[in-house]
Amino acid sequence: MRLRYIARKCGWALLTLLFVLSANFFLFRIMPGDPIGLLARSTRLSPEALAQQIHLYGLDQPLPAQYLTYLKQTLSGNLGVSIISGTEVAETLASRMWPTVLLVGLGTLIAAVVGVVAGIKGGWTRGSGFDRGSLYSSLLLYATPEGWLGMLLLIVFAGTLGWFPAGGYASNSGAGAASFGDVARHLFLPVLTLSLGYVGSFVIVMRSSMIDVKEEQYITTARAKGLSDGTIRSQHAVPNAFLPSFTLIVLSVGFILGGAIVVETVFSWPGLGLLTYQAIQDQDYPVLQAVFLISSGAVVVANLIADIAYGYLDPRVEEV
Amino acid sequence: MVSLVKGDGMSSQFARSFVSRKPVRMMSAAIALTMAASVGAFGMVSATADSASPSPAAAPKVLRIGTTTSIDNPTIWAVNSASEWGSIVIQYDMALKFGPDLTASPGLATSCDPSEDNRTWTCHLRDGLKWSDGQPITSKDVVFSYNFVRDKQFDYFNSYFPEGTTFTAPDDKTFVWHLTKPSIGPMRPAWCYIVPEHIWGKYSNSTQNQIKAVKLFPNVASGPFVMTQANAGQNWTFSRNPNFWGTKPTYDQVVFQLYTNQEAMVQALKNGEIDIADGFDGPLLPALTAIPNVAVQKVESDFWVSLAFNFGGQGPNAHPLPALKDLNVRKAIQMAIDKQGIVDKVYPGAATPGDTIVRPLSTFWHLNVPAEKVIEYDPAAANALLDQSGYAKGADGIRIDPKTNEPLHITLPTSDDVNGSSDVGQLVRGYLKQIGITVDVKPTTAAKMYDLQQSGEFDAYIWYWSGDPDPNYVLSVFTSSACDGDGHLSDGCWKDPAYDALFEKQQAEFDQAKRQQDVYEAQQYIYDQIPDVALVYPNYIEAYRTDKVAGLVATPAKVGYLTTSYDYASMVAAHPAEQPVTTDSSSSGGIPVWVWPLAVAAIGVGVFLSMRRSGKGSEEFERD
Repeated sequence: MRLRYIARKCGWALLTLLFVLSANFFLFRIMPGDPIGLLARSTRLSPEALAQQIHLYGLDQPLPAQYLTYLKQTLSGNLGVSIISGTEVAETLASRMWPTVLLVGLGTLIAAVVGVVAGIKGGWTRGSGFDRGSLYSSLLLYATPEGWLGMLLLIVFAGTLGWFPAGGYASNSGAGAASFGDVARHLFLPVLTLSLGYVGSFVIVMRSSMIDVKEEQYITTARAKGLSDGTIRSQHAVPNAFLPSFTLIVLSVGFILGGAIVVETVFSWPGLGLLTYQAIQDQDYPVLQAVFLISSGAVVVANLIADIAYGYLDPRVEEV
Repeated sequence: MVSLVKGDGMSSQFARSFVSRKPVRMMSAAIALTMAASVGAFGMVSATADSASPSPAAAPKVLRIGTTTSIDNPTIWAVNSASEWGSIVIQYDMALKFGPDLTASPGLATSCDPSEDNRTWTCHLRDGLKWSDGQPITSKDVVFSYNFVRDKQFDYFNSYFPEGTTFTAPDDKTFVWHLTKPSIGPMRPAWCYIVPEHIWGKYSNSTQNQIKAVKLFPNVASGPFVMTQANAGQNWTFSRNPNFWGTKPTYDQVVFQLYTNQEAMVQALKNGEIDIADGFDGPLLPALTAIPNVAVQKVESDFWVSLAFNFGGQGPNAHPLPALKDLNVRKAIQMAIDKQGIVDKVYPGAATPGDTIVRPLSTFWHLNVPAEKVIEYDPAAANALLDQSGYAKGADGIRIDPKTNEPLHITLPTSDDVNGSSDVGQLVRGYLKQIGITVDVKPTTAAKMYDLQQSGEFDAYIWYWSGDPDPNYVLSVFTSSACDGDGHLSDGCWKDPAYDALFEKQQAEFDQAKRQQDVYEAQQYIYDQIPDVALVYPNYIEAYRTDKVAGLVATPAKVGYLTTSYDYASMVAAHPAEQPVTTDSSSSGGIPVWVWPLAVAAIGVGVFLSMRRSGKGSEEFERD
């Protein structure tokens, strides 16, 4: 039964990926404007050179032919060449992936840990000062635009106090790889912004689950048995209440590769989010297709993992 | 993995897998204290590292330039963004380069002499020229460079060579232009950089995209600096070229640091992270001038915000407002627009009202329209002109075209790649309402604007034009042939044989002073015929820390760029400020030492309080 469940979930994930592959192609061609034409205006291409570029990128082919070429190349790992920079898309993506994983991964991890712990405590001691404080803070942070928050931190801690750099991944001394300390200094403010932006959702979800679970009959039974408050919380309530947060965490991990466009833009962090923003402005189809494919694929895979893990964590799921 | 779900209130396998709370609490406290100690250690290491940096005498002198445009591809063959141009300018030489007024000045070549018929130009290289890798620079490199850009159709550079031009190198120090028609040839100057044949010659059979994919670190060039490191999306380092033929720069390195928004770059300038910030819009001027030890350079504009009229003929979907073909209507529109008002409201303190279509940064070629010929802002006179021309107002106050009986209504797209364009569009709407013309402003993307330009599906639009230091290119945009074919450059397909003749005249003139007059005449003609209204010339703003860098040189002189837009003179002349202001903590670039013990203490207090609160729960568990 479990194998059938896993197989079914994997099948749906594969179908979703195939849909993403196709939608990825057509989505960017719906956007108005012609990237080659725009490039021609700025780089003064002659009509002959313009025609050559259009041919090189296959944009003179009928749409179905372009689609087949795109499928064939993508499935063989060829992500194409950037229209704007002329560099291999795979190479560009590879250089931006680690900064994104570092920033968004760390931000998500911190937000998840702090959020879940605060949510547990807040939900368990509903109405207490801690609960009210953490709830209102979470709602405020959740409603606060990340870009605005990031700029505020930038102005205070970078511009006014000068404690942190105003942007970038590392200061370049021209001496090779950046030092740990240098990257950490550059990472602090963007991670702080991202964590503050994400923590609210983890707190709210965990708190809500705890409040729901606290009213369950098995909790009442546990109290009647004379178990301590802490034992009931950690051994009976949290394991049940954690399930929605678990899903949220796994899905958040899936979104890591999508980057954090706003935060990366505020802090000039050279990740996939910023690359996406720049590619949208330039209508750089090959880059956009690759970034969206990777980020969509990551979400689909994370969803699959969440589904499968859920089947283990909650036996009731398989029975549906 | 064991099931987490318990629904029966019974202890489960999962419960037995938990350890008791007291050791968990102690472990949590240990982790927290370890974190506190790590934070403290990190702080001490950072502080120590700062103070252990190399002594001033040993440390390389680095000039840090903040920029908001990226170098997506460092090769000269993929140049597109402002930073990519800057990186090329700092590394390469032209045969004749841009002088202080952007006219031709000695570069690698000291002079170019024409034949009597101006079809042959003989140019002479300097003595002792070397590439950064030590190889000699000869005329063969020059000839190779020109032929390479033409053969591979790198049209930005190739467009400076008239059709049919060939090049020869009779000896190592001489190269010759052979033109099919008389032309000023290399004296434009030809904006084509000289590259080493011994590096790029091996790509003679490669495609353009293959050539663009080649990356050289360190690069090989002839300019004062060469790129030695590129961190994509972050920063790019240029190290001093030991074989540079000119004055040795003071700085050992120049670093371009990317900031993806201008506000962050302001903060970076403020905290001393960068020495120069390249490229701000007007709204940030007050923030810049408020920073101590910062000087601002308002660069004379190298582009103009244009209101371009459509004359139709681009294709089957081009149906612009017929009344716009009437010069009196266009003149009335120009008279109704308050250009100073646009400057004051949209670009306060950071623009000047526009007049002609040759940007003011080309100081030698730009025409300041004589006062007696200026079309002044005068809505009353605009109304009178339209009345006299037969465009009577209807009952709703909107003027009617007597030929078509249709109201004068303009659809006006504005492009998002022009800062403030939609605001300008709204102001234009208000101005034209005063003279009975309604306007529908449609903000749109640059990509969509390109489509509109090609298809002609607009009445007028607000976009921009830039241009080269030499005015030939921007003047060519208004010729009749600029409307021909796919990818045409003309905004509204204005065609005027009289203007075409003026264009040819300036293009064929070899005497610079005479050509200047011809260029003035062409500009005046466009100004009078109004196919396009140059609304404003926005300034390009640069700022630098006067306590960190000195000796910067503007190109063109006084009103130009301090960084690397046309020439590297500023990078060569720049040097660290001789009397740096004593820095305070706001520009130390690091967290003050006193923060670390405070952070450690805060974490320690938090752990202590959490242990106190948990004590009661632990006792209860132990009783179980």
